[in-house]
Amino acid sequence: MLAISMMAFAFTLAAIFTHLAIKNRDLVKATIFSAGQSTAFALIFFLLMAPDIVLAYVAVAVGIYTVLLLYVISKTERYEEGE
Amino acid sequence: MKVKDTIIGIAAALLLIAVMAAIVGGGTAYTPSTEIRRLAEFYLKHCINVYNTTWWTSSPATVTSMVWDYRGIDTYYETSVFFLAVIGSTALFRIAEVKLRAEGEEKRELGLSTIVKTSTRIVFPLISIVSASVVLHGHLNPGGGFQAGSILVVGPLLLMASFSRRYLEDRLRLSRARCIALFTTGLISIILVVALSFAIGGALMQNQPKPWSPKSPWGLLTKIGPLEISGTLFFFDLAEFLVVSFGFTLLFLLLSIPEREFRRLLGL
Repeated sequence: MLAISMMAFAFTLAAIFTHLAIKNRDLVKATIFSAGQSTAFALIFFLLMAPDIVLAYVAVAVGIYTVLLLYVISKTERYEEGE
Repeated sequence: MKVKDTIIGIAAALLLIAVMAAIVGGGTAYTPSTEIRRLAEFYLKHCINVYNTTWWTSSPATVTSMVWDYRGIDTYYETSVFFLAVIGSTALFRIAEVKLRAEGEEKRELGLSTIVKTSTRIVFPLISIVSASVVLHGHLNPGGGFQAGSILVVGPLLLMASFSRRYLEDRLRLSRARCIALFTTGLISIILVVALSFAIGGALMQNQPKPWSPKSPWGLLTKIGPLEISGTLFFFDLAEFLVVSFGFTLLFLLLSIPEREFRRLLGL
């Protein structure tokens, strides 16, 4: 029961982070929110007893993917325009 | 606009909690069973069964033994896809090896502030140690080559961000050519281990003897002295570690070339 309620918490956190990442006009902030969402997902993987996935997922989703996006943003504009 | 966003966020969270509660309560027609399926049962029963070694892999890490023994060729193709992806990206950066030097660079301090540099100095060895422990125990614990490789890449990334790209090239001597060399060594050693297992056991990617293989009683060593190495698994993990860590490092070395410098080098 504890694991399930922690999973519900992590899912809610992930949903909030996703909403913030989509809505934010500042792409650097959006990238960091997406890393936060990945952290919540890593917790869920741990609770689902998949330690192998956690090890790869944390490094890829929080480290490599975030930095890759930051490099891409550095080659274009930081603020999203329009609407 | 703000209020609307907040309401949407809260509604999404409530929907999520409701769906989770429904799944936990058995509200959907199909929920994943908590019983172990027959295939999974086979793997769990046989991967470290010392009393009946017909199907064993001599490794307590079921995931690693599945990835590199029972389904080894699958993982080999996965690694070669990664290899080709990195080689393809490298082909896009078809410029000579150059030392990037901006004007007046000798005088000014490179990188971020002292606080960031000091904490990077503390964190970088820790990252390296964690990745070493993950790769060296990959056949005994959760973990393995890919996981350790992707953990190690975070180290050079931090160094590149907080010191500079040149710190990596000058101090650690991790140039592009050296990265390509180490990265290719990884894939070549995977192929060598495959060839070794073929020479000893008579079947490709075979770790321990299986009933159908031509030279059935022969398998690779499960331990050297007191060290458990689980036949091929240890070497496969090390080779995969080289491929993944230096492949990603190579990509980030290339990506971190400033846009202006890159245009100048390509003559655009």
